[in-house]
Amino acid sequence: MNRIINYLIDVIRGVLFYFSQTKLRTALTLLGITVGVSSIIAIMTVLATFEKTTDQIVSDVRTNVFYITRENPIEVSFGDNNKWARNKPKITWNEYEQLKRSLKLIENMSAVVSEEPSDRTFSVGKKEFKSRIQSFWAADGDILSLYKYDIIDGRNIQEVDINNRSRVAIVGSDIKKELFPFKNPVGETIKIDNIPFEIIALTEEKGELAGQSMDSMVGIPISTYLKYFGGNWRRADLQLVLESESIENIDDATDEAIGVFRAIRKIPPGDPNNFYIATNDQLMDTFGEFTGYLKTFVGLITGISLLVAGIGIANIMLVSLNERIKEIGIRKALGARRSDIFLQFLIEAILISLLGGIIGIFIGLSFGNVVALFLEQSPVIPIDWVFYSLQICASMGIIFGLYPAIKASKLNPIDSMRFD
Amino acid sequence: MTKSRREIIGIKSVSKIYNLGDTIVKALDNVSLSINENDYISIMGPSGSGKSTLMNIIGCLDVPTKGTYKFNNEKISDMNDNQLANIRNEKIGFVFQTFNLLPKLNSIQNVEVPLVYSSLGRAERSLKAKKALKIVGLEDRMSHKPNELSGGQRQRVAIARALVNEPSIILADEPTGNLDSKSGTEILNFFDSLHKAGNTLIIVTHEDSVAKRAKRRIEIFDGKITLDE
Repeated sequence: MNRIINYLIDVIRGVLFYFSQTKLRTALTLLGITVGVSSIIAIMTVLATFEKTTDQIVSDVRTNVFYITRENPIEVSFGDNNKWARNKPKITWNEYEQLKRSLKLIENMSAVVSEEPSDRTFSVGKKEFKSRIQSFWAADGDILSLYKYDIIDGRNIQEVDINNRSRVAIVGSDIKKELFPFKNPVGETIKIDNIPFEIIALTEEKGELAGQSMDSMVGIPISTYLKYFGGNWRRADLQLVLESESIENIDDATDEAIGVFRAIRKIPPGDPNNFYIATNDQLMDTFGEFTGYLKTFVGLITGISLLVAGIGIANIMLVSLNERIKEIGIRKALGARRSDIFLQFLIEAILISLLGGIIGIFIGLSFGNVVALFLEQSPVIPIDWVFYSLQICASMGIIFGLYPAIKASKLNPIDSMRFD
Repeated sequence: MTKSRREIIGIKSVSKIYNLGDTIVKALDNVSLSINENDYISIMGPSGSGKSTLMNIIGCLDVPTKGTYKFNNEKISDMNDNQLANIRNEKIGFVFQTFNLLPKLNSIQNVEVPLVYSSLGRAERSLKAKKALKIVGLEDRMSHKPNELSGGQRQRVAIARALVNEPSIILADEPTGNLDSKSGTEILNFFDSLHKAGNTLIIVTHEDSVAKRAKRRIEIFDGKITLDE
């Protein structure tokens, strides 16, 4: 065993020595692999960052919360699937109220219409909120606890506001900071698309999530929304947010909700749901599906680029073989076996691709983590992909080094030594 | 005296035949030859006479088409590539006309090359290589590359490489062919001293002055041995 290790160290030293003599060529060969591997690692790092971010988003909303929507909010739909989604009926206020009356396992429930972000103008006097409001929602008062916002001053939306379609609004701390820097916004008036609303509450600052402010938020009663902004029904599609009593009974609660909602819509047994029900787990699954597609796509692209890089390796190995025919002849005359020459060439190819791979991993990690930095995430290392990349590189070295190595090992010492 | 010495090389009725499509070339035609320990032999012949082929066969770089070749009583003619490589590595020290040093390696690394293919550790290899370089008087040129050495020095590095495995025979192919007469004489003097130290030497040459140094002279013509004295 010691002998083999000793031998391998010799071969590797020899190969590294050869690299140091042909720096430019080695570097150019490395480049192809480096580009391939760095792109795979960069994208996997970005995806890992996204996954981490969505984990945070999803876990930030209570885990015994689930949603009923017309269609899957984050699914990337293709072709027929999409058409079908468009034909699904919108969730109506009436359905919401029926559901709210019938469900037993639900502790808290709210219907919400949201524009995320909103293109409407939000102004006080002549002063307009400069950026877009990230979340303009309309619901009843229960939504605040479902979305985990705390009121620090003022009151929540009450049933009377819903019934009277009152023009009242709850605002997040970004609105106070920008539009009411020196006074308490509660009791003041904010104009949404020039319609005046009385501010009834200010929520506690929540900070940022995934680079977006959670406090760039305005909420109004849902009935008011439908009255003043409901003309745009494509946006005014109700989403139901439901909360089960506990995390443990969320499955029972979702089953109950599905059953009751099917009964309300009179869907015959056996027909598919014409609505979408999403738990946080499902949201994660859908996201996983999406990233899965992306990974396959990336895998395909890098596969092609690595194939090209591999052909580059084979080419460079054949060039170096032709240059070293004499050397191989001398080494064979001095006692190198076929396997010695074979290993020398194969290890050379493997080392080139591994070296390229390692450089690629570092570059990819740097690029990917720049994105992580923008998303304000701690650095991510997709350790599994680092290992896959190294494996891919090693196998590429073997596959594309094999033919040149066999060719080199078969050279005849007498003829090779005479070669110039 | 001759009889008391052990036979190292025993060649019996060896032929090497090349089939070049419509013509058949007999590079060696039924050659028999016996070489003993501490022999100092010159093989002479014009180009195309078959002396290179004979040298390749003696050096285990090639195998005969017909006949048997025994090296230290081992039958070479039946060996495969790897076994031949091992014999070359351990038993034969080659000295070539064009030195055949590896240009990117320095002297000591060049001398170490045969040891790389044996199973020695690094420390032992470097020790042996230094010793061999000392024998040829180049201990002060160990980290020089071939292009930093004179022709005579290069050939001495090559001889050190040939000696490093303490081979049974030293096989030199026109060792002075690429050297000026002064360096050539130096090298030949060195061969004389190797012979005196008990080594077995075979020198392939076409120069009479080189052949005269040897104790036994073999001439070859048209694939046959025409003189052995």
